[in-house]
Amino acid sequence: MTELLKPMAEFNVEGPLKSIVWNLGDFEIVISETIIVQWIVMVILGVVFFILGRNLKVRTTSKRQMAAEWIVCFFRNMVRDTMGVKYNKYTAYIGGLFCFSVLSSLMGLFGLRSPTSDLSVIAAWGLATFVLTQRNKFKTGGVKGFFKGFIEPVPFMLPFNIIGEFANPLSQTLRHFANILAGSVIGGLVYFALGQVANGLASIGIPAILSLYFDLFSAFVQAYIFCTLTMAYVSMADCSE
Amino acid sequence: MVEFLTIAAEQEKFSLVSIDPSTIVFTLINTLIIVALYFFFLHKPVCKILDERAKTVNAEMDEAEEAKKQAAATKAEYEARLSDSKAEAERIVADATKRARAREEEIISAANNEATALKERAEESIKKEKQRAVTEIRKDISDMVIMAASKVAQKEIDKSTNEDIINSVLDGIEKEN
Repeated sequence: MTELLKPMAEFNVEGPLKSIVWNLGDFEIVISETIIVQWIVMVILGVVFFILGRNLKVRTTSKRQMAAEWIVCFFRNMVRDTMGVKYNKYTAYIGGLFCFSVLSSLMGLFGLRSPTSDLSVIAAWGLATFVLTQRNKFKTGGVKGFFKGFIEPVPFMLPFNIIGEFANPLSQTLRHFANILAGSVIGGLVYFALGQVANGLASIGIPAILSLYFDLFSAFVQAYIFCTLTMAYVSMADCSE
Repeated sequence: MVEFLTIAAEQEKFSLVSIDPSTIVFTLINTLIIVALYFFFLHKPVCKILDERAKTVNAEMDEAEEAKKQAAATKAEYEARLSDSKAEAERIVADATKRARAREEEIISAANNEATALKERAEESIKKEKQRAVTEIRKDISDMVIMAASKVAQKEIDKSTNEDIINSVLDGIEKEN
């Protein structure tokens, strides 16, 4: 009986590899696997953006330019619809962030570790959202508006408002991170389980379907949600109305 | 400064849920770079082209409107000209018809006049001829009568006295006729 309860094999999920480490006394600078994959993503995105944005013509039938225009108009309209024309300058940030997030999540398809399954990455983006939100609050409301925002609608709400300021980017961060991580964990589990069954027949269909959902669909949806939430938080911080 | 460098040899890993400050800093830098790449390589050129296209389309629409207006004006002008020329043509035809009719009447009346004149002249000349013939015949008859009478009388009859008698006789005959 105890024989049966013993695991046949172990499945471990580990964090990203510390690829390069500088030790500066007490302080450590780590370039993890995540950052290296990010560099790959940056190179790919740079090349794609460069190729798409090259040689544009006013009158064209080129599919490349149509794709470029579609992408730019997609982000422009997204920002315009969610935040309003006033926040047009956020288009580049949202567009860049969306592309970065999607391609980072898609790196899992190529057997690399998705940077988006590293909490530090999403935390960095959450931090950026937090900073942008506070900055917008300060910019539109001034010092007075900034602090007044915390005691609205009634002063009693002060502690909740303060919690809310931190909870928003935190929840947004955890949502994105956990979805992508869960996807890769479930994917890994399925591969592991099928590897244990090991007659190869079942390993044709199921991982493909799972991968389609967790890698492709989830990558786009999570990036979209994260960007939409960022836009919503930043534009909601507007005190000028 | 760098005390030692580890390159993946130790296979040291972060735990699954961990926050690493250097990863955060690098991610922020990388994100900024990607935003810049997106902005300068894709967003800016595409927006520029879209603006240019909007301008071109507006200009072309304005041009098309202008051309349409001009075409309408030209059409109106040509239509006016066409109706003008139609009226002109009608006027010319009416004029010509009128003149032709006048000329026709002129010709007919001239012909009538000429015919009347001819007829009159002919009648005149017929009358004259008749007169002449009558005179001649009368002269001939009177001569013949005188000659005959003189032959009969075998003597010279005074021509002038007898002529009066004969003439009165002849007048009487003429009247009887």
